[in-house]
Amino acid sequence: MFDFRPKVQVTIDQTGESYPCAIGESLLQGMLRLGRKGIPVGCVNGGCGVCKVKILAGSTETLGPVSRAHVTAEEEGQGYTLACRVGPSCELRLEVAGKMSKPFFKGYDAQATPPATIK
Amino acid sequence: MGVMRIGHASLKVMDMGAAVKHYTEVLGMKVTMEDKAGNVYLKCWDEWDRYSLILTPSDQAGMNHVAYKCEKDSDLDDFKKRIEAHGIKVAELAEGALPATGRMLQFKLPSGQEMRLFAQKEYVGTEVGTTNPDPWPDNITGAGAHWVDHCLLMCELNPETGVNTVADNVAFFKDVLDFHLVEQVLVGPGGAIQAAAFLACTNKPHDIAFVGAPTSGLHHVSFFLDSWHDVLKAADVMAKKKVKIDVAPTRHGITRGETIYFFDPSGNRNETFAGLGYLSMRDRPVTTWTEDKLWSGIFYHTGEATPSFTDVYT
Repeated sequence: MFDFRPKVQVTIDQTGESYPCAIGESLLQGMLRLGRKGIPVGCVNGGCGVCKVKILAGSTETLGPVSRAHVTAEEEGQGYTLACRVGPSCELRLEVAGKMSKPFFKGYDAQATPPATIK
Repeated sequence: MGVMRIGHASLKVMDMGAAVKHYTEVLGMKVTMEDKAGNVYLKCWDEWDRYSLILTPSDQAGMNHVAYKCEKDSDLDDFKKRIEAHGIKVAELAEGALPATGRMLQFKLPSGQEMRLFAQKEYVGTEVGTTNPDPWPDNITGAGAHWVDHCLLMCELNPETGVNTVADNVAFFKDVLDFHLVEQVLVGPGGAIQAAAFLACTNKPHDIAFVGAPTSGLHHVSFFLDSWHDVLKAADVMAKKKVKIDVAPTRHGITRGETIYFFDPSGNRNETFAGLGYLSMRDRPVTTWTEDKLWSGIFYHTGEATPSFTDVYT
């Protein structure tokens, strides 16, 4: 609403959902701005890697550095990147490759364990 | 007296210009030194040693090492013996290995991150000096952080394989470095798994923290502010500077700290932290948070999970 910037449609392959992303804003920012979900959101600055995606169709422009710890040069050649660091240059389709893992409460948060005894 | 406090953190950044702009304009640090390798050294206005943060150019984010300052040079000899006796290899780095810094002990924590101990760093003084000082200087920018307060390290924890480097680090810091355990999170059947721990060498609620995760890394480096109002103002600064805020101003149950979490331009998480909620005397009983109240411990007001807070780190 009241945003007249030129936009292109970005489609998330796994869910079939799509959203309009402005030229010049990142794929992740476009999703965040609309309050939409689908691509995991982390640092939004190219360092943490949770918004890793594979561009299946269409092309992107680079907006900033992507951590090599999360996207190797080889992966980059295969179309992997971080959604916070690239913007769309045309309509595109992507696949979410990053994920949030459950760290220290994995496997335990669903259990009805009694509170720990404090020694 | 052994380890006094955190001395500095060395962080990898992917865009040095953006990083320096962030740490000076948002946190309010000052650049005090640069070296030929392109590393930039900064300090906060209330700190007296030459630097408390090193930014190093890299193709990724994360922490190179964290260093703690000992009171006496001879402490380093004592700690070298004690660390080796704990089964951890120690390298000695000569004076000048880092500019303006004395000799250092270099070793890996049980959780894998590099830690260093040193006793000497060039004294340059705070911005207000030591004679009839004003309470704050006139040249404060941004949030005006007083000092680098602590860091939180993510530590490999896998209950299925029995790996718990949170507990391993706690044992190392208590037994070898003479830190005391202040707060902890116990999870799993019977609370058998120490999933997070907050330890101090000073009387602050924590000087270092460990949280269990699938892989080890850096969760955040924290900067001290004086009050809740300073935390609010820091959030205003972040909004002005378009900083990505991870968690808006709130309070932790753990440590009682008033906080904001946000990311530097390379995705390293920072915290501005206010409110020394209590003094962690060495005989203070350890506070324990249980699995069912875990998120109240993390974010006291909502008590609800914010997955990015535990799942996103560098």
